[in-house]
Order: sequence, then C-alpha cells, then structure tokens
Amino acid sequence: MQETRHQFREDLKGLERQVLGGLDLVIQQLDRALEAVSYQDVELAAMVVADDDRIDGRYLEVHQGILSLLARQAPVAGDLRIVAALLHVIRCIERMGDQCVNIAKLVPLSGYESPKDKDILDSIERMGQLARSQLSQAKDSLGTRNVELAQDLARQDAEINRLNRAIFKRAVEIGDELDMREWGMFMILVARCLERIGDNTVDIAEQVVFVVTGLFREMADSPTASEAARSA
Amino acid sequence: MIPPDTNTEEQTEMSTAGGPSEQAQDAPDLSALGVKEGAGHAIKVAGLHAYYGSQHAIKGIDISFPANEATAIIGPSGCGKSTMVRCINRMHEEIPGARAEGEVTLDDVNVYGEGVDVTTVRRMIGMVFQKPNPFPTMSIFDNVAAGLRLSGTKSDNLRERVHRALRAVGLWGEVKNRLGEPGTGLSGGQQQRLCIARTIAVEPEVILMDEPCSALDPIATLKVEELIDELKSRYTIVIVTHNMQQAARVADSTVFMLDGEVIEHAPTKDVFTNPRDERTERYVTGKFG
Repeated sequence: MQETRHQFREDLKGLERQVLGGLDLVIQQLDRALEAVSYQDVELAAMVVADDDRIDGRYLEVHQGILSLLARQAPVAGDLRIVAALLHVIRCIERMGDQCVNIAKLVPLSGYESPKDKDILDSIERMGQLARSQLSQAKDSLGTRNVELAQDLARQDAEINRLNRAIFKRAVEIGDELDMREWGMFMILVARCLERIGDNTVDIAEQVVFVVTGLFREMADSPTASEAARSA
Repeated sequence: MIPPDTNTEEQTEMSTAGGPSEQAQDAPDLSALGVKEGAGHAIKVAGLHAYYGSQHAIKGIDISFPANEATAIIGPSGCGKSTMVRCINRMHEEIPGARAEGEVTLDDVNVYGEGVDVTTVRRMIGMVFQKPNPFPTMSIFDNVAAGLRLSGTKSDNLRERVHRALRAVGLWGEVKNRLGEPGTGLSGGQQQRLCIARTIAVEPEVILMDEPCSALDPIATLKVEELIDELKSRYTIVIVTHNMQQAARVADSTVFMLDGEVIEHAPTKDVFTNPRDERTERYVTGKFG
C-alpha cells in the first residue's frame, strides 16, 4: 500500500507549524509584558500592545487555512481531530496574546513611583515563570503528542491558581493608603491575566489528549487537579 | 422499441395523471408503498468464505446488518466488498467457478439452506448495481413492472404498484407523462432511481447497493443519497461504496474491509472520527489506498 494525499499532509503539517509558532509568539509577548511590569517599562509595554497584531494575524492565517483544508480535503479520523484541535488551540493563542496586552496596558496605569509590596511582586514573578513554563510545555506536548506532559499541565496550573488567590488576599490586607490599594488592585488584574493564560495552556493540554485518544475530558475538573487545588 | 401493449395502457393512465398538485410528488413518498416503517429485516453473516476458483476472496466473515439501518462497506479495491454483498443474495454463485461457504441468515432463515429457492432470496434481498441497468428494450413502466410480472402480480395491481414505486423514489413527477418511453431515455441519475424503483416494487426486505452512485453526477448522487435515507425507514440497506464521504453521509454504521476480512465495524461517527484499528485510520485518512 502506498501513502497518498501528500499535499494534504504537507498543508496540515504547515498549519501545525504555524500554531506551534503562534505559541512561541505568545511566549515572547509574555516575557516582554512581565519585564515591563517588573521594570515599569512603559515603552516596552507599548511594544507588547503593538505586536499583538502579529498574533492576531497568525490567528487569521490559521483560521483561513483550516477552513480551506476542511472545504477541500474533508479530513477524517486522526486528521480531523488534529484540525479541530488546531482550530481550538489557535483561539487559545489569540486569547493569551490578548492577556499579554491586558498586562501591558496596566503598566502605565500603575504609576512610575507607586508603592510596592514585595510579597505581591514575588508572587507575580513566580506566576509569570509558571505561565511561561506551562506555555512551553503545552507547545511540547502538542508538537510531540505527549499525553503525560499534557496531563501534567493540570497539576502545574493548580500552583498558578493558588498564587492568584494569595495575591488577592495580600492585596486586601495591603493597608489603608490609597496609592498602595490602587497598585494592589492593578496587581490583582495582572495576576488574573496570568491565571487565564495558565487556564488556556490547560485547554491546549485537553486538546492534545483529544488528538491522541479521541476522548475529550476537562482537566480542570479532573481529580488530579482538584486534589492539587485542595492541597494548596 | 416500446412494447405496444404497455404503451396503450400508459396512454390511458396518462389521461388521468397530471395537474399542478402532482408537482408535490417529486419528493420520495414511501408511505404509498404499503411497506410499514421499521419493516426491515436483519441480516447475519457467519463464517462466510467466498472463492473465485482457487482464489480465497472472503476469509471467514462474521457480521450483522441491523434492520432498518444503512450499513456502508468501505475498503480498497479488491478487498472483497462487492463479493461479500453478492454472497448475501446468492449472486456470487452465478459467476463460473465461484463458490461460497458459511451462513447468511435473513432473520432466522439461512439463504444457503437446503431447499431455499434462489429466486425468492433475490426477491427478498434486492440489489442495485454500480451502473444503472434499465432493460434497454423496455419502457419506463415495464422496467419497474418487470420484477412484478416475474413474481406473478396481477395486472390490476401491477399499475398501482409501479406508480407507488416510482413515487417512492421521487421519480413520479419527472416521468408520469412518459411512462411508455424507453427507460434508457432517462438521465443517468433518473435511470438509477428507476432501477431502485424496480428493486423496491417487489417489496424486498433488504436492499443491497453496489456503488450505486459511482456513475452519477453530484446532484444525482445527492438525490440517491436522500433516497437511501428515506428507504432505510422501511428496508435494511447495505451499500458498498468507494466514496468515503458518501459512507459518512448515508450510513448508520460502517464496515472497513481489507484483504477479504472485516477489520472494523462501528458506528459511522466513530469510524470517521476515532477508528479503533490503525488500519482503518490509515485507510480513511488516505495514508494508503
């Protein structure tokens, strides 16, 4: 038996490469958004906002490519699952790009000389590292169809969720000074964006499991994730 | 050449047919057939082997075709799809040197059983072929009536049953004013629906279709596919197709065959989204063909 549908296979691989590249774009945007928060770098934050067009452009390219592939090639079985997953993942990428923009837009609002709280800053930095690590792991699990890596993301995400709650709690206790409370509110919003990025990486992990097994299961509700959340 | 007796009969009939309300009868109308919904019968194949001389074409197949469902059989050329369905209504044995072993039961009756009349088997298990094959010397009316005449249907019932069959396949509105004209004068899609009308006129319990749309254009194909969807409420349908999208569109379950064996038989949705066997996956995704 000889292999057939070479062009289709090339097109599908090309779309997957574009999606994996989209995850790299989000990682770059996240790195710069976090740096802008750490150093109160308004110019860098503005670049993050401007560069979101690249991610939006990638979303449109992949979306169009998938529609064309569906219309012309009618993929089925494992191919259909990959196509469906790519459509879902590129939407996650677009949303994560928007979260980086949201973080960047908070930089000029939080003020140059605002008072800062070390606990909150440390937690934000840790959340950023975890979100970046999860993004990278989501990319690897998709690229290599690694279900174990994908399932591990739900466990990791529990830590981001724990830090998000801790930041909220700390911001409530941060003191009576107006500037401090305002800064704390901005950090809650940054933490919320990072928490959403973490959730999106778990969504990607669910798609990886679906591609490999054909079964869809929400990992956020899985016993592993729930146990991890409780123990936190 | 149109047989004069049929022509005369249809001239009389045509004078009473027609009128604007008849336009609505273009859609298949199975209720006219007198065959009740859910009246299909299950087919079971057990330990089926088929040979062409020394060539072992079917290698011990066990499979069930549930009543009132459309089952598609897919697989690469030469895998035994057509041979398997031809064994179901004993058409396979018509080929010189060909033979079959095993059991095919229609409900509880083994169609290969001793004393079973082959003609009766083929009346109960009708077949539609790849190329529309209307009898070239017969009119549209006579093409549908042919099977009924063979089974001894009386002429007063004959006309009614031919009309019902033509309505059932959605052909009535297109041919009602030219029933005396040759069947071969119809388009390919109309000819195939005429052949389906001929098959269902004798009220079979199962309809086998061997690539019924492979010679048809896309619109005619869609009409036949819609008809299959209608027919399965009354009959059990087994369709052999090379067109996997067609299997995906029309079949409740799909069978994948390879080298004379059934590799996978599952709900069509599963075969085309999450097949269990890697060979099925490779075939439906075009990784081999």
